[in-house]
Amino acid sequence: MAKVTIPIGPQHPALKEPECFIVTLDGERISHLDMRLGYNHRGIEKACEARTYVQDVYLIERVCGICSHSHSTCFVQAVEEIAGLQIPPRATYIRTLIAELERVHSHLLWLGVAGHEIGFDTLLMYTWRDREAVMDIFAALTGNRVNYGMNTLGGVRRDFTKEQLAEVLKVIDICEERTKYYIEVCTQEPTVINRLSGIGHLSHDDAMRLGTVGPTGRASAVDKDVRRDDPYLAYKDLSFKVILDNHNDVFGRAVVRVLELMESYKLIREIIAKMPDGPVTVKAPRKIPAGEAFSRYEAPRGEDSHYIRANGTDKPERVRVRAPTMANLQSVAKMLEDNNLADVPIAIAAIDPCFSCTDRMIGIRTGKGTGNSIRWDDLRNYGVKWYRKQGIDFTDLNRKLAKKQE
Amino acid sequence: MSLLSKMVTWARIKSPWIIHFNTGACNACDIEIVASLTPRFDIERFGILLKGTPRHADVLVCSGPVTRQIRERLIRVYEQMPEPKFVVAVGTCSCSGGVFQGCYNVKGGIDTVIPVSAYIPGCPASPAAIIDGVAKLLGSLQGKKPGEKADIEAIVPKPLEAEMANNG
Amino acid sequence: MANEEAIKAELTGKFPFLADKIVIKRERRLFADVPQDRFREVFEHAARKMDFVHLCIITGLDDGDNLLFIYHMAKLDGTVLNLKTTAPKSNPAIKTITDIFPGGVIYERELVDLLGAKVEGLPPGKRYPLPDDWPPNQYPLRKDWKPEMLEGKDGRKEEVKNG
Repeated sequence: MAKVTIPIGPQHPALKEPECFIVTLDGERISHLDMRLGYNHRGIEKACEARTYVQDVYLIERVCGICSHSHSTCFVQAVEEIAGLQIPPRATYIRTLIAELERVHSHLLWLGVAGHEIGFDTLLMYTWRDREAVMDIFAALTGNRVNYGMNTLGGVRRDFTKEQLAEVLKVIDICEERTKYYIEVCTQEPTVINRLSGIGHLSHDDAMRLGTVGPTGRASAVDKDVRRDDPYLAYKDLSFKVILDNHNDVFGRAVVRVLELMESYKLIREIIAKMPDGPVTVKAPRKIPAGEAFSRYEAPRGEDSHYIRANGTDKPERVRVRAPTMANLQSVAKMLEDNNLADVPIAIAAIDPCFSCTDRMIGIRTGKGTGNSIRWDDLRNYGVKWYRKQGIDFTDLNRKLAKKQE
Repeated sequence: MSLLSKMVTWARIKSPWIIHFNTGACNACDIEIVASLTPRFDIERFGILLKGTPRHADVLVCSGPVTRQIRERLIRVYEQMPEPKFVVAVGTCSCSGGVFQGCYNVKGGIDTVIPVSAYIPGCPASPAAIIDGVAKLLGSLQGKKPGEKADIEAIVPKPLEAEMANNG
Repeated sequence: MANEEAIKAELTGKFPFLADKIVIKRERRLFADVPQDRFREVFEHAARKMDFVHLCIITGLDDGDNLLFIYHMAKLDGTVLNLKTTAPKSNPAIKTITDIFPGGVIYERELVDLLGAKVEGLPPGKRYPLPDDWPPNQYPLRKDWKPEMLEGKDGRKEEVKNG
């Protein structure tokens, strides 16, 4: 079958823009996907070696702004293990509380983004409005909406009062009510089901082979969850379900995330109920003795792993960070094989990549090697229109959700 | 100012079009920029619209320090914007490189590459700060002193159902 | 720590040269030093016969005259086996593991870009994570490399200024 060029490009065709995803088309089907990454490469691992451990806590937090607590906790866990520090139980519970709240805000964020990618914009407005309640909690508890700065070597930097924790419970109650409605929408509305099913298919075996983690993997029945498999923080004492699904597609990834929201609400209640009294920090040495540790953490996107080697000084010898998105990006090429061009935005969004990855150029290639570039937003609009022609239109659903008031 | 440029300025203040560009950020500022569009902050009631292409944009809103890979593209995007154009650096990283100062692969803040009209610090900059910064930028267009906000009429949004009913 | 002891016993039984090279750091964490010429066998055995089905990451670091590579492999029950091997800087050649873990290709590319490793059998593809215009023979993660070494290699020096 003849391969065709898509002549879409808002930039001047002569300008060579660095592209992130390069899609080769065979007709309208994708035959191959290539990735050119590195736009966010800031050289953090090297920078860590020139800063003290305490400074690194703040730097590592900013690897990704959405799961900042994940990275900083994974880091301090490793350092505390090398130093042989036993942190107080209350600190462990506080870290776990922030961790689960982060999962809630991240999944709500994802739901909105996914809605936006398929043209279901009311969902974006509603989930992000709910998310604001969680952001308010973060601001009240930690002083910042994002990048909370809760961790320090040896514990946490702030303690919470009973009143603050009571506020958290109130917000969780509201979020849970609203999430129940989102679950209904995701799992029962035919428009949503039709739009998301069958897209970005990734079999269980491929997901295992490619090292897929987090909700993306669990939607292909990959039974990995670091909270259960390699317990850290307070998870040994808490009860929760690991949500598995076997749709193997974008629909499954949505289902896993909304159900995980419900589990997180339960976890937050349990954490607050069981929170022990006591100090929130122990004194940590400035110089960390020589040693090494490998720390794992279940971030909202999946397994985050850090390896740290200490050399007896106040600066680390080596800090190695592997964010979950890096593991999941490997499976994007497989997922998009034989999909339509219109599926690219939602399939990539469904692995919940860092936002910056989606604000990139996509290159379209043909067999002849020539091609054009298209901006992500234009590709998204193309996708929405393409599916509208197939009869999948979100206008009615947008209206219906907007009608449903508080 | 000639009549034409007065009209153009009035039109821009009434409805500035923004393009958002991430130059290597950790995404926290990007999320806060998008959050400023959501009902809680609702930057659109000021007529500020997020556009997809630089060709129609008045204001380039940047987040993140400039990495080596993105530098050329940032310059291209800036060059494609029609005059007059303004650049807003959102977040401490865009202002100065922030916590990534000294990292190889990071050149520094946005102003090491393109001229910046307004700096909005914060890590991340909160939506309230972003709206405040943009309002001050528009104030400078109205001939106000630096730091004074523009007189902007807030557009009261009609209830969504009424609007849907009207539009059919 | 029965589980960890059993893993250590199996590895030592199958590969006697690993005796006293395996350390159990704590529950679910084992570290082992493997000579480069036998690395492939040990790695393959762990991945295919011992259920270490998940490659978390590969860490490369500068260890003086050598480059040290650590392959962090996990089982579904949470146990992590960290296999370490070295190669001299004068010839930092290692073999790919992407035939067993295709997802590992991106970690191997990082070793090439940031440390100057040579990975035999690495599938062709675009480099990661450094930009195309990065000067050759500069490996940021090596201890003797400093960011100042990039000065003056920018190319496009003039900045765009608005009138």
